Amino acid sequence: MENQTLVKEICPTTTQAWVKKGALLVDVREKDEVEQLAYDVPNIINIPLSEFEERYTEIPTDKEVVMVCKGGGRSLRATGFLVNHGYTNAVNMQHGIARWVQKGFATKGDTSVVTGSDSCCSTSGCC
Amino acid sequence: MKQIKILGPGCPKCKATYTNVLEALKKTNIEANVEKIEDIEEMMKYNVLTTPVLMIDNEIKVKGRIAQINEIIELLNK
Repeated sequence: MENQTLVKEICPTTTQAWVKKGALLVDVREKDEVEQLAYDVPNIINIPLSEFEERYTEIPTDKEVVMVCKGGGRSLRATGFLVNHGYTNAVNMQHGIARWVQKGFATKGDTSVVTGSDSCCSTSGCC
Repeated sequence: MKQIKILGPGCPKCKATYTNVLEALKKTNIEANVEKIEDIEEMMKYNVLTTPVLMIDNEIKVKGRIAQINEIIELLNK
């Protein structure tokens, strides 16, 4: 997401490179969304945004962390939250799983839930 | 004068909250400075995760849902 300087952001292709180096992905989508379609990477945890305030301390501070969601908006807010709580190792992945799928990166589940729309996260990201 | 802020990316729920705030103010005749904050960086400064957020005098009163008119009136009268 453009026009912000608080949070460092990387694209899905860079994320893929980080994953290969052992970065942890933190998916902040809700459980039902993850059940439909998930990132298929070795190191990933799901902390839905609705539980984030209570569970963010599960995120390690000693390894590279990439925050992800459907379109990049919710994960941006979550990354900002982490930065405000002293995390220096967390970055946001722009454009979410929608762009991840477009790029042909590995997923598990039904990709049709993100194809066919630009899927800014504001639909479920808001509220 | 009360300071009211509505934080959110401009989604329908955020707009509904804003409309409800204006309606509540009309009903109570309370004077307030109402500000919509849609800028993501500005929102992150408030550590907001779920939107919309209703802030009154710099205190988060309602987050992650639409604040209802009666509820806002009650909060304004506190």
